Amino acid sequence: MAGRHNVRNGIDKELLAEIKQKLEQGLFPQWMVTDPDIYDLEVDKIFGRTWQYLGHESELKEAGDYVTRWLMDDPVLLVKNKKGEINVFLNSCSHRGTHLCTADVGNRKTFTCPFHGWSFNTDGELIGVVAGDKVFGERLNKQDWNLHKIPRVDTYRGMIFGNLDPNAMPLEDYLGDLKWYIDLFLARSDGGMEVIGAPQRWVVNTNWKMSTENFGGDPYHVATTHKSTVELGISPKDPFYASYGHQVKLNHGHCVNVSTTGPGFSVPSYQGLPEEMWPMFERNLSKEQLEVYKQTVVIVGTCFPNLSFHCPVHGNEGHLHNYLTLRIWRPIGPDKIEIWAWFLIDKAAPEEYKMQSYKGYVASFGPSGTLEADDTEIWTRVAKASKGKMARNREMKYNNVLNYMMGMDKIEPDESWPGPGIAYPTCFVDYALRGMHEYWLELLTKEYEDEQ
Amino acid sequence: MNSEIYYEITRFLTREARLLDDRKFEEWLALFADDIVYRMPVRVTRESKDRTGKDNAMTYFEESKISLTTRVKRLRTSSAWAEDPPLHTRHFVSNIDVEDCEHPDEYKVVSYFLTKRSRGVDHEAEQIFGERHDVLRRVNGEWKIHSRTIYPDQSVLTVMNLSMFL
Repeated sequence: MAGRHNVRNGIDKELLAEIKQKLEQGLFPQWMVTDPDIYDLEVDKIFGRTWQYLGHESELKEAGDYVTRWLMDDPVLLVKNKKGEINVFLNSCSHRGTHLCTADVGNRKTFTCPFHGWSFNTDGELIGVVAGDKVFGERLNKQDWNLHKIPRVDTYRGMIFGNLDPNAMPLEDYLGDLKWYIDLFLARSDGGMEVIGAPQRWVVNTNWKMSTENFGGDPYHVATTHKSTVELGISPKDPFYASYGHQVKLNHGHCVNVSTTGPGFSVPSYQGLPEEMWPMFERNLSKEQLEVYKQTVVIVGTCFPNLSFHCPVHGNEGHLHNYLTLRIWRPIGPDKIEIWAWFLIDKAAPEEYKMQSYKGYVASFGPSGTLEADDTEIWTRVAKASKGKMARNREMKYNNVLNYMMGMDKIEPDESWPGPGIAYPTCFVDYALRGMHEYWLELLTKEYEDEQ
Repeated sequence: MNSEIYYEITRFLTREARLLDDRKFEEWLALFADDIVYRMPVRVTRESKDRTGKDNAMTYFEESKISLTTRVKRLRTSSAWAEDPPLHTRHFVSNIDVEDCEHPDEYKVVSYFLTKRSRGVDHEAEQIFGERHDVLRRVNGEWKIHSRTIYPDQSVLTVMNLSMFL
């Protein structure tokens, strides 16, 4: 403790080293769950440096189509130009910074600021200045006042990402081995996935790490949190049913859980998708991917830090259908998130199947979902109980550490697993979440090293 | 439409709200016709030129009688944590507007809703508000809801879940 200097908000290199020691033992100090100082660091050092999901190409169809999004607290405008390219700007007028376009979605040839009337085209170029020559004269070089582009923008199989760090590693490298897994749903069918309708949005009083972890590596919670669906006969009775399959720890804090069927629980091959689609899967996926995908029931995971995906088989009115939901857990503060949930299905799926999938999604996930409604309850409870003096004691004199020890030194990786990453032969382990914590701390710590 | 019908419909909606707040969900369910279509489209903020922010392609509820029944049954399990302990809810219904339909015993009813709920010991109440478009039908003197579309006024819901009904 001696020699600790206040680098920022009382969190310095020594304290981070102590945290590292705890994490290595599978312990997560509870004080960090909703700590405002940790949050302050995360905003800059994690969300300011990592690739953030902004939307899907299928949301923008025609020239001039736009959607507005948030990259944490930065308003972002995604717009399709005349050439069919998607431009991504800070949604803020270059003149006085006004939030430029405040609708969620629409179509425009130009965006005119309501403050002083400066207008921009779909390439972000300043094309109109009210009384321009008369009031600014030759000092105003219009090209200098175009909308600000988000420093880095890239796409992966229809998913559009932005990054505020001009020196960030390429998206391709950042996603790394995760691509092999998300391709199981993003690349399985011809034409990929498409977003249906607008995203559902709602606010939950929790910290982003709770939801990120919940989708990232917590099939252990399923039997208890979602017990109501077991009682209803929607989910299997076997308390281990969510454990069957593999949990995979990936680079850059990414996590995937690939569930398979267990005793007494059977789902047809390829997540029960229509057989007429199978030849596409067999054409589009590699031999190793097919071997895994054929047995798959659920793929759920997190692209660090706050994009999660869930591609399950769920039912409505007794039917079982597959779908994909992409999630943003947008941090609003240390104890508040705004959830953005998109529903996606294969473009190439039969229309009737798409409709049934959508119904299955709304029934089970989203704010009214018979499964998800209880998740938000639990995440809120964790945040609520982590705000007190005892839970937030940084010296941890009350042993206020949370347990992420499941499977430690007990479960060995499955060497025969055909996919990349370190795969464990059960989803009831905390390897992926410990990997996430490692990377989380690496990002927080790395910056200190750079500063010194 | 005469004032007697208006009075009956008003009473019907008031009673419905009461059933929900008293957590008499099975009785509430019985107010719906077997072929009920119960939907809650996502609300989207749009430019005024685009007229409506009602996005019918994605919803918060897309229900039939069977799926509504499943939801009610879920609330009766021992582990619907979002509602256990139960939330204290208050369904306010107002501005009831009734229009005739082609079918003589059928009426289009638009009503405003404000649902407040208190969770445990939270100081702040959650709320959701908007309007509902119902089709009510009277069969043998008994009113049934044939369809309900719920349009929230919030593009981002400030309730942490929709474990309740609207």
